[in-house]
Amino acid sequence: MATETPTSDHPAIPTGDHPARDRHQIQTLILAASILVVALAAVVFSVTFAASLNRYGVLYFPLGFYLLAQGLLIFIVVLAFWFVRIQERIDLARSQGEGL
Amino acid sequence: MRVPSRLRTPNPHLGAYYAIVTSAFISIVIVLAMFEQLGWGKALIAQTMMLGPLALYLVIATGTRTYDAEDFFVSGRRVPAVYNGFVLAAVAVGGVGFVAYTGTVFLLGFDALAIGLGWAVGLLAASILFVPYLRKAGSYTLPAFLGHRFRSRSLRIAASAMQLPPTALLLAAELKLAALVAALFLPLSFSIAAIMVAAIIAASVLLGGMRSLTWTASAQFLIAAVGLVAVVTTVSVLLTNVPAPQFTYGSLFPALQNAEIGAGVAPLDPGTVAIMLPGQDPLPTVKPLLQAFGFIGPFDFAALFLCLAFGMAALPTLLARSGVTSSLADQRRACAWGLLFVALFVMTAPAVAVFAKLLIFRDIALAPASSLPAWLAELSQSQLLQAGDANGDGSIAAGELFIKRDGVLFALSPGAGLPYVFAVLMGVSALAVALAASASHLFTLAASLSEDIYRVADPRHVLPQLIAARVAVAAVALAAAVFLIIADLDPLSAALLALSFAGATFFPVLLLAIWWRRFTKWGAMAAMGIGFAVMLIEAVFGAGFGKAAFNAPVASLLGILLALAAGIGVSFYFARPSKAEDDYWEEMRDPEGETIYDRAQWRAAATASTSAAATEQ
Repeated sequence: MATETPTSDHPAIPTGDHPARDRHQIQTLILAASILVVALAAVVFSVTFAASLNRYGVLYFPLGFYLLAQGLLIFIVVLAFWFVRIQERIDLARSQGEGL
Repeated sequence: MRVPSRLRTPNPHLGAYYAIVTSAFISIVIVLAMFEQLGWGKALIAQTMMLGPLALYLVIATGTRTYDAEDFFVSGRRVPAVYNGFVLAAVAVGGVGFVAYTGTVFLLGFDALAIGLGWAVGLLAASILFVPYLRKAGSYTLPAFLGHRFRSRSLRIAASAMQLPPTALLLAAELKLAALVAALFLPLSFSIAAIMVAAIIAASVLLGGMRSLTWTASAQFLIAAVGLVAVVTTVSVLLTNVPAPQFTYGSLFPALQNAEIGAGVAPLDPGTVAIMLPGQDPLPTVKPLLQAFGFIGPFDFAALFLCLAFGMAALPTLLARSGVTSSLADQRRACAWGLLFVALFVMTAPAVAVFAKLLIFRDIALAPASSLPAWLAELSQSQLLQAGDANGDGSIAAGELFIKRDGVLFALSPGAGLPYVFAVLMGVSALAVALAASASHLFTLAASLSEDIYRVADPRHVLPQLIAARVAVAAVALAAAVFLIIADLDPLSAALLALSFAGATFFPVLLLAIWWRRFTKWGAMAAMGIGFAVMLIEAVFGAGFGKAAFNAPVASLLGILLALAAGIGVSFYFARPSKAEDDYWEEMRDPEGETIYDRAQWRAAATASTSAAATEQ
């Protein structure tokens, strides 16, 4: 089946007529990707070095065990609430930008 | 046509209501603890404690009945964020997590942490990638969202059909755990308990749908949390003198390691055992709790973690709750609250496992076989634990001590020598969270069958919307009860398979549908179909719920990769999305305003009233 070409009333990408909207979408994408990459990187680091980290202790726990059992969970919860706060600011900036 | 209400004010007395519910429950527990000391029998205490909360759930469900479609399917879109967080956490953890995850940490130790971590990261991914956009879309079900996004009825029906296996498996797993717990504390056979539990969850959603489900599950979450915290904190005080189990169980590791060495638990080589999660039959402890990657190697640990994260992120039952809050920002906060509650449970489960392991090994494995404690006989009668001096050396080693994975939670309180009320309290908690999760899966399944299959396939709508949904609820609950009576299902394996199905089938299609403007209907069909087909092949040819179920994570990850490739490839091959699809995608990303679905309903209602007025003139 043939592929349609973009037309003026059916743009393939944001056209720049809505700067607040486009900025909002880019910031939202960057925020989402950053948080997920940071969370996954923290998990990968903790799993990869868990056995080595277990040689060190924190609060009576071996460090590798502690990270996977508690540390990462606390970090992820903090990330989730931080995401809510930042995303609300981004949303507010869009509504103010569109209201002007 | 019924016009959705614009009034989104939550009940200002909710906090008072739930404070009363929680206080009443705590008071009943305290009174029963006193009656136990005064000589009440165990059976009477168990029946009072189990049946009291069940009656409360039914009262809440009846009191929140509704005849309004918006109330029935999305709880009127006025659930406060924290309460939605309660229900999200109850669904994410479920009875399987509450009971089986604790037992799995007991048996596998460090290696089981992949499960809890997978849930948490999955919820985070859902709250960032999917939930805000599903809230803006406002569709009542996940298949309905896909149908609206791509303007396709066939895609909606296909998505509903592919949603069946994961949701039905989770429903069966949660129901089975609820029935097992009910049969443990009430004088009921498993079959009768399964029928009773199925009837209770059907009653919970039959009259009020999502509305009664939300308020019943909130009470269930609070009761489960109170029960777990009361028992684990009491044991923590007994063992460590500090009422903060999550942070103090580390101080018991030296004693636990000594007990494990004394009982003959030696470190394992990851390559020497078949890779699988513990089943539902009693098993010996085969590895030290702290040994990293002794039973599950790092690759399988990562595969299990990723599979559960993707599955949790795309779980239809969780995503169906995306439309119940009053605003998009509230929905994000609800996810963060839900994640917090899940994280608190996941941090508590290893504490339970460590306490239980230390108590059991100290009292059984290190004591002479001739002087075993009395509580062992009780647990043996309940078939939660079996110990015997098989080699006749006068003591019981780890290899002679068989513990049921789903019995660890209930062994904690008798092992610590606590009154019987505490044991029942743990049972009430497990039953509450299993009921909340199973009712949610039941509603998701029934709502999808009625809204996405029946109402789409029958444009004449012979059955009214709410009648069709209620018939579907009753039929699914009946089918689940019958299935449980005739089939032997391991809840943990079934839940793992269900999450693998959910991840492979829905994660790629949702990711592309929400984040890629160029994604098309046929791309969505290909992505869902490929992911589902890979998991179906694994489930059918991989011995279903047996030993091969652990291969489900690898199959799920493979399915996700293939589905992403298929979705992108097919979308590029076919024509661009229509203007309507493009506008929907753009509208979905606007955080302001009412949901797209509600606005469409209002427009339709306005058009209908204008036409009616014109006809009258």
